Amino acid sequence: MVDNNPSPEMVLDYLRAEQQSVLRQLSSPIDPSDVFRYGACIGTSIKVHSTLPRAMEHARTLINDIARNKRSVATGTVILADSMTQSKGRFSRSWHAPDGGVWGCLIHGNNLLPESRHFIPMATGVACCETVRQYVGDAATLRWVNDVLVSGQKLAGFLVESYTEPIHSEEFTLVGFGININNSSFPKELAGLALSLKQFLRHSIDLSDFTARFLAKLAWNFGLLYHEEAKHLKGDGYSGQDGEHFILSRWKQLSDTIGQDVVYGFDVMTAPQYAGYACGVDESGGLVIQLPDGYKKTEYSGEVRYQTR
Amino acid sequence: MTNEIDFDELISKYKSDPFDYVDVLAVHTGRVSFKVMEGAEVEAASGQWRQIPGTVLYEINRERNPKFISAQTNGTVAEINRELDGQFVEAGEKLMTIKHPLKKKEIIENILKDVLSLFVAPETAKYFFAMDIQSRIDKKGPGAVTIASGDEVLTMSLMKRDTPVYYNGEKGVIHSIYFKPGVSVAQGEPLLGICAADKLSIIQKIITRVKADWDTDH
Repeated sequence: MVDNNPSPEMVLDYLRAEQQSVLRQLSSPIDPSDVFRYGACIGTSIKVHSTLPRAMEHARTLINDIARNKRSVATGTVILADSMTQSKGRFSRSWHAPDGGVWGCLIHGNNLLPESRHFIPMATGVACCETVRQYVGDAATLRWVNDVLVSGQKLAGFLVESYTEPIHSEEFTLVGFGININNSSFPKELAGLALSLKQFLRHSIDLSDFTARFLAKLAWNFGLLYHEEAKHLKGDGYSGQDGEHFILSRWKQLSDTIGQDVVYGFDVMTAPQYAGYACGVDESGGLVIQLPDGYKKTEYSGEVRYQTR
Repeated sequence: MTNEIDFDELISKYKSDPFDYVDVLAVHTGRVSFKVMEGAEVEAASGQWRQIPGTVLYEINRERNPKFISAQTNGTVAEINRELDGQFVEAGEKLMTIKHPLKKKEIIENILKDVLSLFVAPETAKYFFAMDIQSRIDKKGPGAVTIASGDEVLTMSLMKRDTPVYYNGEKGVIHSIYFKPGVSVAQGEPLLGICAADKLSIIQKIITRVKADWDTDH
């Protein structure tokens, strides 16, 4: 018996609703039919499990097994598990993944140009933040690059890794996701840092319904990556504010990073490098941090934590 | 890696001319105006993030957007293309050459870059060792870690998207590490210097010779 069991039809219904809501907007710079068409592959195959050691590792095994049979895994395949026993975050951080959360991985066949792939982590964070806002409103924000916070505590985190399968050298992007929904106990070291939706709302929510909404948002935002790429290649520029990438514009609307005093580090938890003021993001999403002497440094990797003033 | 290494030739090359000659190129098209003369001493950018600009070398102006371009390396202006002063130049045009005095450490690094197999950054990004390689380095030190073509040696990190980087050179030990975790490396810059195990003693001899032949650090 699996708790988190959304169907591809549920995902498609939410994706259609997204398309309809953009169609109703009078002056949207994006073509919702295009975005729908590009993104609709996400969630067409959903593989559910009661427990897995790690979803990313399971995805690699699945890709290799299918490649050995001279086939290719369907792009947009999603792997879900009710709980994971050996999940991890970036570097060697452990990620607590008991029953009640949304734990899994999206397999995306790599057919985006490098400049579009650059925006995958942001698109993933935007998709999750937009989904969470359907439940908590503006309390959900994005911390550069793609941590989803609710009331300043971490609700969701993502791992984006490239993978080249060894048989035919086909490239994939694996998007691992961990979203705290109905789980409510965290290890001691995460006390005050992590939060679940249940803790915030003070009631449980339908896990499969949340996951379907999230996958539809993921499909929409991946569709936007293709839409923006096609538009840019035609010479029409991007659709966001002042000609910037639409994902970046949307990220700016959802993020509370700009204007914060931050500590930056490649691995900020174990090796914070310096403190500064987050004063903006550049056109490719790099975070511009002003140092105390006024020098502005742009970071394209690593992570930040907010400092209380 | 070069099989035959002529120590004396290498050492005498740096003994007779212990300098690097760094060409300064136009950063983009525009009208240039030189701010230094031949023979001038120039200072490189400094500060923890190299945020304190070095000596201004030239001004370039395109569409009423003037920029002052400063030195990235210290040394003496050895040669300057005076005929370009006040002229419109193309991007990448050579404007001057800076003669940079090499320190002992730089000489060793230059020689090693000549004799080691260099594994370069595929993209401008931050790099860190793959977990397996890192744990082997932690246990034994990099000089005891052998890598071969096809091994996953590094992870390239860009906008929180991590991509494994596979080594594609000849089998050898990790002799030199040219990147620091968390510091961006430009595309094409070396990440690792790899040395075949049987050549390690030769490399060590080079280092010892240079250290012995150069009394001071300058």
